[in-house]
Amino acid sequence: MHTNQSKQTDKALLDLILLGHVNETAVSIVAANLQAIMGLNTDIRPVLDKPDYAYVPGRNQFDAAKIIKTLCSITDGAPLKLGLIESDLCSPILTFVYGESQLGGKAALVSLHRLSAEDPAVTYQRIAKISLHEVGHLLGIKHCWKTTCLMKHSSDLEPLDSLSLYFCSACEYEIKRHLETLINRDI
Amino acid sequence: MSSAMQIMVVDDEENICEALAAWFQKDGYWVETAGSGPEALERMQQKPCDVYLVDIKMPGMDGLELLARLKEKQPDVDVIMITAHGSIQTAVEAMKRGACDYLCKPFDPDQLSLLMERVIASKALRDENIALREQLAEQRETIFEGFVAQSETMQKVFSIIEDVAPSSAPVLITGETGVGKELIAHTIHTHSEQSYGPFVAINCGALSETLLESEIFGHERGAFTGAAKARRGRLEMANNGTLFLDEVGEISTKMQVSLLRALEEKKFERLGGSRAIETNFRLISATHQDLPQLIKENQFREDFFYRINVITVPVAPLRERLEDVPALADHFLERYVQETGKRMEGFTQRALGMLMSYSWPGNVRELRNVIERAVVIARGRMIGAKELTFLNTPGAECQLGTLTLKEVEISHVRAALEACNWNISRAAKQLGIDRSTLNRKIKRYHMTRP
Ligand SMILES: Nc1ncnc2c1ncn2[C@@H]1O[C@H](COP(=O)(O)OP(=O)(O)OP(=O)(O)O)[C@@H](O)[C@H]1O
Ligand SMILES: [Mg+2]
Ligand SMILES: [Zn+2]
Ligand SMILES: [Zn+2]
Repeated sequence: MHTNQSKQTDKALLDLILLGHVNETAVSIVAANLQAIMGLNTDIRPVLDKPDYAYVPGRNQFDAAKIIKTLCSITDGAPLKLGLIESDLCSPILTFVYGESQLGGKAALVSLHRLSAEDPAVTYQRIAKISLHEVGHLLGIKHCWKTTCLMKHSSDLEPLDSLSLYFCSACEYEIKRHLETLINRDI
Repeated sequence: MSSAMQIMVVDDEENICEALAAWFQKDGYWVETAGSGPEALERMQQKPCDVYLVDIKMPGMDGLELLARLKEKQPDVDVIMITAHGSIQTAVEAMKRGACDYLCKPFDPDQLSLLMERVIASKALRDENIALREQLAEQRETIFEGFVAQSETMQKVFSIIEDVAPSSAPVLITGETGVGKELIAHTIHTHSEQSYGPFVAINCGALSETLLESEIFGHERGAFTGAAKARRGRLEMANNGTLFLDEVGEISTKMQVSLLRALEEKKFERLGGSRAIETNFRLISATHQDLPQLIKENQFREDFFYRINVITVPVAPLRERLEDVPALADHFLERYVQETGKRMEGFTQRALGMLMSYSWPGNVRELRNVIERAVVIARGRMIGAKELTFLNTPGAECQLGTLTLKEVEISHVRAALEACNWNISRAAKQLGIDRSTLNRKIKRYHMTRP
């Protein structure tokens, strides 16, 4: 397939925003994967406070939607924001979420809470996969039914682990297309 | 997942509506939300949905009442109740009254996926859309099979596809049988905005006129003898997806009029029905015929032609782009090797030469079949001339295209020699010439025994 080389730009397109303390290795792995696999220039921003405003007392979790709204209200920096948090996330309808994202929007969020495995390499892979998936949604990509594609919806760790770190050709094509639009809009 | 499916979420809590709508959108569904029972009913009048997710506890009209009203207006509708802990009793009551399932919020992410799969499966069964489901499943398998485009002409086709796919403009693909028209239609679909919707294909040449008409438009119960049940047509199935009209030149001018209307107004009626059904799809047509010529002969309507032919993708016959042959051969070899588990490494020079000097009247499909056969009969690691002897069957070379007489002669002589294992007398006999003539040709064309 022939594709146009995307326009080079040094400006970051995505800011990684840490909500409270987040494992440093995980942060750099996420940044590296966004850069390498999606071609997304990524900046790591200074750590923010833990989002107490989104705490759901009865469930000992944080409401992902509320945090995303706050991330959206940040006006400076890159056009896309990805929040990383170590605490457990939930949504008004779901008992938990690994991550959450606005489809074709501005902000996404990933929790490390349920992703740890005995082998740290597996843990980091899970974090990278969920992050790439949620950022895919940010770029407007919906779920993919290709069994090996990162945009396939995984509601459990087992299917997540069976994915490789790739988007299928159709999703990759769409990602490129949306990124180009974003870059052109941004310069 | 079929995005032809339309979902409405009814809940008085806005954040619940939002969260569910976002979840369904990511899965490719079309979702609407309503904040109350009356609002849902009003929306239903304008545009009925297939599935309703209804909160049981709402001020004013509650979930149970809304369920009854929905069922009254649209008996085959699927209603899923949303409950909170503590009101499960009511949910069970709702099931008795015709709700198809319930969810207890907050629910497990897996529960929601599974529930939707169940709803789709039962819905597909009910609509007798099994064929469509199978087709969708098959489409998932084959779409990413890969599209080989080595030659400059196919590269051009590819860049047209890339350019037009994201728009929703109608596309007409022209070319001989087996050149890859359907594959191109698929590729356009997967790269389009509608890629999450269904790809619904219909071969207009394969059905009689009446059958084709009810296949396309669907019919109401009793529309004609034998129409015991109402049936959805392809126009409906293709909603939010792509409709592929293969062999569009075979459609009668009468049906072209009805189709033209459906395309322009984005709505139509089933046979024997009077209710206007809305549908929105991208149209891709294909033909091996010369439509402008058919128009001159009054076999095809000019207005319909302009409607379906906004963008033309002409696909050259394989003999005019022989550079694609080696790449295609490798592509199919890889595929059949995977399927059969045989260890094969490639083609001998001689075999490639034979593939390159054949005229491929059946185009890529014929090449595919040839490779499949060769893999089946191959004994060694390479596909050699021996595995391709059947290329030489008489009559296969009826469309010689751009090959020169000399090229045709070379390939024909070589094939005869291979077939007879280089026994000069037998090959000469098969070719209908004498030994000395054959020997002269072997010398002149520098042919050597493998
Ligand atoms: N460029 C290509 N790359 C890979 N496979 C191809 C290519 N072109 C065609 N094929 C394969 O060749 C076969 C025939 O293609 P297809 O069915 O799309 O042809 P068609 O033009 O629709 O034929 P018909 O007019 O007879 O319906 C299919 O198996 C298809 O996958
Ligand atoms: Mg075809
Ligand atoms: Zn997702
Ligand atoms: Zn994908």
